[in-house]
Amino acid sequence: MSRYVITLCHGSSCMQKDSQKLRQAFEKELEKKKLSEKVKINLSGCLGMCSHGPIVIINPRYTVYGKVTENDIPELIESHIIKKEPFKRLAIEEDHLFNRFYRVFGDVKFFGKQMRIVLRNCGIIDPENMDDYLSVRGYEALAKVLTKMNPEDVIREVKKSGLRGRGGAGFPTGIKWELTAKENSDEKFVICNADEGDPGAFMDRSTIEGDPHTVIEGMIIGGYAVSSNKGVVYIRAEYPLAIKRLEKAIADARKEGFLGEHILGSNFSFDIEIRLGAGAFVCGEETALIHSIEGSRGMPRPRPPYPSVSGLFGKPTLINNVETWANIPVIILDGADWFSSIGIAKSKGTKVFALAGKIANTGLVEVPMGTTLRQIIYDIGGGIPNNKKFKAIQTGGPSGGCLPEKFLDTKIDYESLVAAGSIMGSGGMIVMDEDSCMVNIAKFFLEFTQNESCGKCTPCREGTKRMLEILTRITKGEGVDEDIVNLKRLGTMIKKASLCGLGQSAPNPVLSTINNFMEEYVEHIKEKKCRAGCCQGLFAYAITEKCIGCGVCKKVCPVAAITGEPRSKHKIDKNKCIKCGLCVKACKFEAIKKA
Amino acid sequence: MVTPLELVKKKRAEAINRIISKGYLSSKRVYVGMATCEIAAGSKEVMEVFVNAIKKGLAGVYLSQKGCAGRCNLEPTVEVVEEGKIPIKYGKVTPQKAQGIIERHLKNGEVIKEWMIE
Repeated sequence: MSRYVITLCHGSSCMQKDSQKLRQAFEKELEKKKLSEKVKINLSGCLGMCSHGPIVIINPRYTVYGKVTENDIPELIESHIIKKEPFKRLAIEEDHLFNRFYRVFGDVKFFGKQMRIVLRNCGIIDPENMDDYLSVRGYEALAKVLTKMNPEDVIREVKKSGLRGRGGAGFPTGIKWELTAKENSDEKFVICNADEGDPGAFMDRSTIEGDPHTVIEGMIIGGYAVSSNKGVVYIRAEYPLAIKRLEKAIADARKEGFLGEHILGSNFSFDIEIRLGAGAFVCGEETALIHSIEGSRGMPRPRPPYPSVSGLFGKPTLINNVETWANIPVIILDGADWFSSIGIAKSKGTKVFALAGKIANTGLVEVPMGTTLRQIIYDIGGGIPNNKKFKAIQTGGPSGGCLPEKFLDTKIDYESLVAAGSIMGSGGMIVMDEDSCMVNIAKFFLEFTQNESCGKCTPCREGTKRMLEILTRITKGEGVDEDIVNLKRLGTMIKKASLCGLGQSAPNPVLSTINNFMEEYVEHIKEKKCRAGCCQGLFAYAITEKCIGCGVCKKVCPVAAITGEPRSKHKIDKNKCIKCGLCVKACKFEAIKKA
Repeated sequence: MVTPLELVKKKRAEAINRIISKGYLSSKRVYVGMATCEIAAGSKEVMEVFVNAIKKGLAGVYLSQKGCAGRCNLEPTVEVVEEGKIPIKYGKVTPQKAQGIIERHLKNGEVIKEWMIE
């Protein structure tokens, strides 16, 4: 059992500075000192301290060492591990908010390669205890803003950080703030969009449940920057625990003087209330969300005017997603310069993804922008389980696209994902292996958006319905030659003519699977074959010679489609069979096969 | 006049004192994941085992809930943090395993390798 963990930064900047050689040098020195058993060497993702690289962290007695060279290694090990004293000459004091996560989880491969800015406190502190948040420099960003910065400074800092909206569209946050601040109005609103509706995405829920004060602090700072006194968190009612924790956090913050009149003795007043959504997907769209808060039906309206000009109750409104808000305290405390050193060209900072599907390690992943899909799937996610082959990765939830293997080296940032034919979206990431049928997947997502279409505009309401009918037919084995052309035509039309983001992106899963997996569509239509064996209309079950006539399958069949005498081969009536697969699971002799 | 920054620093010092007075510096800190996902995986029952053990006299342990760290398929998770040691992370903790963590790790200082997340 190793008692020490040495973490070597494996970010691109440190790698250029020979962190690879350092590793070998560490291994050699540890062997020489007979410490190999006790010390584990770990490679991490970027640790965000590039200017001091190469970075080495030694735990326990968590110390960050910078500009480490091969020659320093003997002394470093002697001091930290043998004498148990930090090696002062190389130790750096630079302390970032996200470092705490590392202290606890840095040695686990799954976490060590991530960079946790938004989720920095999730899994580290007690979310229902305000003292815990205060002890990790909670509300210091707010105090700094109120003490040393005027609203223009705050906006300048957010602009400089390069932060872009994490809800999906990626609009520059600082510019949104500036536009709202510019408006003259007796009243302005700040909204937190916590209406997380993508199937399989739970980043926002985890952020609020794990660290509700961060979101609140971000919103208060936003209110200060745009001179608003009223904040609203719009969260779906199906997140009861998140709501409970948010309510408690707001009450606690009020008690401590972080919310309410004259925050921390300053002239700034701000308060937050919670509005519950009924769970309509379209209410994640900002104008629909605003209508829902106003008490109207959750339907979008054409923009402009944008909410920054005319939003909630016709007043200028600043609306950002949970993840965006959670970044704000970090930008204020660690600085825009530091924040913008993480990520790449036009996409700065990190992004949280909910990694799910056919992947060994499912979970929440936060990585710097610019990380490749391959790194997420194989380095962090641990690859595809059961020796299956990777087929596609779906990013951006029902609004995104499916990318095949050739796109695995795509860097994750807003522009690259769009260029590859998908979108960043809010951060759902579903991995599919060879057992997934791409036509069926497209149908699944379209079914979702079709159900969630609010019905206001015709392209989305009628178009998605027609597309779904075609897809359903194809999966039943009743596809015809014109289907692909029609799907493409309808899809392109819906994208162009729909009113809001829901309709404009609804055809994406279908169009991207047609682009990347055309052969599967053709197989379904022409050969009536589903290579993954998913589409129930395209295969039948049959009993092979392996059958010994035990009768187990006959008992489990819910529609009595199986007949046969004991100890003789049984038969399946294809007309009765509903292809539920129960008999396959029940058969101990693997005698039932798809044909 | 006290600035907001000074005020927050004072509040932080008070908060840290309050946490310490609850036994934060005691030898072992135990964190149980209590987000929706963890609770669905059974972390409430796990938490109960620790709460009951402390009621029955398990000393020197600071027990706290925490949010979800994001390791979905290994939930519920429990961390045992000791000053000067690598924090130990346990995955797929059941009430039985929680009892084991109490008897073997918390009372006897044995790190139960086979339950650890690596």
